[in-house]
Amino acid sequence: MPGDRGRAPEDTDASLPHEDALLVVRAAEGDDEAFEALVHRHAPVLLRLATRLLGSPTEAEDAVQEAFVSAWRKLPEFRGDARFGTWMHRIVTNRCLNVLRSRQPVAALDSVAEPQAPEHQVSPPRAAEGRAAVQDLSRAIEGLSPEQRVCWVLRELDGAPYESIAETVGISPEAVRGRVFRARRYLTEAMAGWR
Amino acid sequence: MAMNEGGAPGGTSYEDVPEDEVLSCGRELAQVWEQAETGEPDPHTAGCPHCAEALRALRSLEAVVARARDDEPQERPWDTAALAGRVMDVVRLELRPGRTLPLGEADEDAWIVEAAAARTFRAAVESLPGVRAGSCRIEADPQDTGRPASAPPVGWLPRGPARVRIEVQVGLSWNLQLVADEVRARIVAAADRELGMRVAAVDVVIADLLDDAGNAGNAGNAENAENAENADTEGRQG
Repeated sequence: MPGDRGRAPEDTDASLPHEDALLVVRAAEGDDEAFEALVHRHAPVLLRLATRLLGSPTEAEDAVQEAFVSAWRKLPEFRGDARFGTWMHRIVTNRCLNVLRSRQPVAALDSVAEPQAPEHQVSPPRAAEGRAAVQDLSRAIEGLSPEQRVCWVLRELDGAPYESIAETVGISPEAVRGRVFRARRYLTEAMAGWR
Repeated sequence: MAMNEGGAPGGTSYEDVPEDEVLSCGRELAQVWEQAETGEPDPHTAGCPHCAEALRALRSLEAVVARARDDEPQERPWDTAALAGRVMDVVRLELRPGRTLPLGEADEDAWIVEAAAARTFRAAVESLPGVRAGSCRIEADPQDTGRPASAPPVGWLPRGPARVRIEVQVGLSWNLQLVADEVRARIVAAADRELGMRVAAVDVVIADLLDDAGNAGNAGNAENAENAENADTEGRQG
C-alpha cells in the first residue's frame, strides 16, 4: 500500500508537464474545471509574453483571453505532441502579431520613431538616464514592423533561440535572423543619441 | 530608416546589401553582429576600428534592452482570477458535454452526459492516495445483448450497462494489479451510489508512474500514450 502522500491540489506548478498533460486530456474530454486550472497555471507567463509583444497590459489581457478561448475550441484536436505551454505560447504570439498588424497604420502615424536624443547635455543622474533610455526604447519599438517586433521581442526579451522562434511564427530560421537584424539595425539608429 | 523585410543577415555574403550596411573596412554589418552573437572569434574584427564602432552600437542597444528587462516587475499584479473568470464565462457557453449515457434500468428514462459522469469517476479514483486520473471514456458494453431494438438518437448511448475506460497516473509504491483493482472498485461503487449507472466492465490503463514528489517516472509523457496499451492488459478485468 502506498504511504500517506496525497497530493496537495494547490501545490501546482506550470513547470510540471505531466500535470499539464493530465489536465489537457481532461479538458479535451470536456472537463471545464481542468481547463480552468490550465488557465490559472499558464496565464501569468502568457500575460508577460503578450505585454512584451504589445507594450500594453490591457491589450495583452484581451489577447491572452482570446487565445485561451480559441485553445478551448481547438483542444479536441490538440495531439499532445507539443506541450500545452508551448502550444499556448504559439497561439498568443500569433494573436499578438495579428493585433500589431491591425493597429499598424495608427502606430506608424504617431511614432515615426524620431530618434530620441537625450534631453540633457549635462549628464543626468545615472538611474534617471537609464529610465529615460528604456522609455526611448519602448517608443522606438513602436516603429518596428509587426513581424520584426515579434521576432525581436522573442529573441531579445524572451531569450528564445532562432529555431524556436521560427517554429512559433511559422517562417524559416534564416527569415527570423533577417527580421531580428532589421529590428536591431532600426533600434540602434533610433537609440544612436544614447551612445 | 531601413524597414525592408528582404534583407538577410548572416555570415555569408548577400547580394544587394545596402551601402550603409557595408562597413568602411568592407565587412557587412550583419556579419559582424552575427559573429558577436555567436561568439565566433575573428582576428580582423578584433583590431578593426570600424567593426569596433559597429559593435559599440549593438552593445549600447543591448545595455538598454537589459535594463528594460530588469525593469519589468517579476510578478506583475496580474488579475489572473478576473482573466480566468472571463475566459470561463465564454467556455461555459461552449461546453462539450459529450454523449448522453443511460442511468438506471432498461425501462427507465434517466440520463447523464459523459463529461459529468467522467468527472464523478475521476474524483472517485483520486480519493486513492497517489493516484491521478486522466482520460475517462464511457462506452456502451458491446457484450450486452439485452438492448432495445430501436436505435438511440445520435450522441446517445443505447440503454444498458456501460463500459468505462480510465487512464491513471499512480505512485511508484503501488502494486499495479492492486491499484487497478482499487480503481475498478471505486468506479463501480461511484457508478452505483452516486450516479445509479450500471457498469459492466472497467478498463484501467496505467498511463504513468509517479515518484514520491509527484513527478512522472522514466517514461516521458510522449511515450506513455504508446505504452498505455501494454499496461491496459495488466489492468483489464477478466
